[in-house]
Amino acid sequence: MLYVVLFFLLFSLLLYVLLGGADFGAGIVELFSSARNKEHTRDTIYRVMGPIWEANHIWLIIMLVILWVAFPAYFNVMIIYLHIPLSLVLLGITLRGVAFVFRHYDAVLDKSQFWYNWLFRIGSFVTPVFLGMSFGALIGGEIIITEDYETYGFYDLFMQHWLSIFALLVGLFYAALCAFLASTLLIGEADGKARKHYAKNSAFFTIVLVVLGFILISYGYFSEIKFAEDFIHNPISLACVGLSGILLFPLWKFIKKEYRIASRYLAGFQVVLILFAALYAHFPYIIITAEKEISLLENLAPESTISNLAIMLLIGGFIILPGLFHLMKSFNMIKLLEKPEKD
Amino acid sequence: MENLDYARLQMAFTLGFHIIFACIGMVMPFFMVVSHYKWLKTRNPIYKRLTMAWLKGVAIFFVTGAVSGTALSFELGMLWPEFMKHAGPIIGMPFSLEGAAFFVEAIALGFYLYGWNKLPEKFHWFTGVIIGVAGVASGILVVSANGWMNAPSGFEYINGEFTNIDPVAALLNPAWFTQALHMTLAAFVATSFGVAGIHAFQIFRKRNVELHTKAFKIAIVFGAIAAFLQPISGDLSAKDVAERQPVKLAAMEAHYETSKGAPLYIGGIVDEENRTVSNKIEIPKALSFLAFGDFNAEVKGLNDFPDNELPPVAIVHYAFQTMVGIGTLLMFAGLIYFISLRKKSWLQNKYYWLLFIIIAPLGFVAIEAGWIVTEVGRQPWIIHQIMRTEDAVTPMPGMKYSFFYYLFLYTILAITVTWLMNRQIKSLNQETSEEKGTGNTLKKSFKPTGGNKNKD
Repeated sequence: MLYVVLFFLLFSLLLYVLLGGADFGAGIVELFSSARNKEHTRDTIYRVMGPIWEANHIWLIIMLVILWVAFPAYFNVMIIYLHIPLSLVLLGITLRGVAFVFRHYDAVLDKSQFWYNWLFRIGSFVTPVFLGMSFGALIGGEIIITEDYETYGFYDLFMQHWLSIFALLVGLFYAALCAFLASTLLIGEADGKARKHYAKNSAFFTIVLVVLGFILISYGYFSEIKFAEDFIHNPISLACVGLSGILLFPLWKFIKKEYRIASRYLAGFQVVLILFAALYAHFPYIIITAEKEISLLENLAPESTISNLAIMLLIGGFIILPGLFHLMKSFNMIKLLEKPEKD
Repeated sequence: MENLDYARLQMAFTLGFHIIFACIGMVMPFFMVVSHYKWLKTRNPIYKRLTMAWLKGVAIFFVTGAVSGTALSFELGMLWPEFMKHAGPIIGMPFSLEGAAFFVEAIALGFYLYGWNKLPEKFHWFTGVIIGVAGVASGILVVSANGWMNAPSGFEYINGEFTNIDPVAALLNPAWFTQALHMTLAAFVATSFGVAGIHAFQIFRKRNVELHTKAFKIAIVFGAIAAFLQPISGDLSAKDVAERQPVKLAAMEAHYETSKGAPLYIGGIVDEENRTVSNKIEIPKALSFLAFGDFNAEVKGLNDFPDNELPPVAIVHYAFQTMVGIGTLLMFAGLIYFISLRKKSWLQNKYYWLLFIIIAPLGFVAIEAGWIVTEVGRQPWIIHQIMRTEDAVTPMPGMKYSFFYYLFLYTILAITVTWLMNRQIKSLNQETSEEKGTGNTLKKSFKPTGGNKNKD
């Protein structure tokens, strides 16, 4: 039963990284577009994301609930020490959500649209950076767990681990990943000039992603961050990242040949590989503090809770997933993909 | 104030905001589907316009409810990590089911929002019903988790350890039913009177009277019926509390001395230092009867509980009085509506509409007051008789800043939603006065501003 729960945890994480990531990324692409392209991107984002965007962030809640129900000890450490960056993530999600609703549902079009747009774009960029920083803090090996509030100040206990360069690099890397996903997604949604624009965007973010990934790993390795070292010494993780890199070539080919579905699946698969590589290198020790490693599987919830949760998740999965898939299928996501392009 | 106080204040504010968003998001879909049903039956375009207007409201409140709910689920852990560490595995079931219900709601809303002219009419309408049902289910499940804090069950507590955990028993804790019933009815009362009040205001100002009268009728019927049922549910809740949390009941009634045939106080100023209540109206033996169904039953007073287990009495008492007072008032307002069905002349009277405008926000005040009774009345416990709130709070200092941060976050949310709704109502009136109800206007008013460059 534990494996069912773990499956759903990783599944929600994956979907959040993919769908939520594309959602954030769309805003980032808009942020880095020229004024004329911003307009177009804005409309495309609404068309693509509109029907399912509400559902995207629910994966985050599902993850959170699974963590606190089944892995209470792990959740306890995470939530206490990530209080501040996660609060910043929440502010980002809130402002961004509010801005999204306002710019698309507001009955009156006027100057205030300007502010909604900028709020949406900046929120879309900052939120994944903070999310990444939170994850970077967990694995960066700088968390100090103590009750000795005399020796350690507020900054030492609650700030320094997520304000480290390593954490910041992870944050930027995740933001670039989001932009990469979104720009690949948007290519298939556009015609003519706009299409070229997204193709350029996609190439740009791919380069940013590769460069950042390289800096991240080498910085981690040379600053002797345990996670990065273990990552480099783990052949499977390295192979996954390598494969993901090699797959960029067919991806570019697909984009050129306008295979929309194939290019999306490929981009998604590349992200899966990266995520898998990152988790595999250290699973299940996904908190690394200054002194020890904390396993996700330590001090699990009692068996009755785990099996109950597993049953709930299975039932929920059977009800929700077909509905979600149908929603995506009925409307834009998949239907638009299948439409032949008119140039 | 200490860290703990700020953490409690933050929780109170967040819940206070969230409960409003959540109630509206939960109840408005029902108005929407009734109006939609009438449109399908009568093909009167006014109903379609109304459905569309309410749909926008539903979408706005769903999103804000979702956002504030996300923040809240983080805050539970951030503010009360020790509570979540132990309670999480026990009350995970309502939360995971709630997640599922919420997901169903989101999917149904997706279908409903984007399904006009794309889905079969009846199925499309039915997805609207699912939005409402899933919303209410979410609400009930979350309240069940709160019920568990009042009536902890589904585990054994031995030497400070929670063992033999039974998540189903925790979900179906003894308090879940009465609390969920009371809350669901309250959501209907508050939202109905709130929405009816908004439309009453438009009628009062003589704007598009036909549409707003139809809207008023749909909303107020829900509210009036729920307001009549609410006292019954309140009585069930009171008896429940009397049995399981006698100290909370005593605080609600500011009842200090244990006595048989205890009187019920209406109003009154509580002096917590001297443990007295002045300026109250006493109804002899009423408390004993309401709490235990027996005029001579003994009601334990606050003086007979240990000092370190007493909640703040004055706040709980005032909040309780506010809630009951408003509940009674709204019940009478409901009665006035039912009488006006016979006496049509009342509908021409501006004071009739003025009444519904004035009472519009009261239902929400009552909900807030009710939650203050439940939550402050349970103090100093976070899990009744098991874990103290002070033992659950985060070790992180500086909660003061956290409090102001979240206050800022929720204030933005509240202000923007209010503003947005205001603009929706204004635009509804403008369109109707400029272009007299043609199908085109409907489409235009619904179409989101962003996506109109692309064909369907």
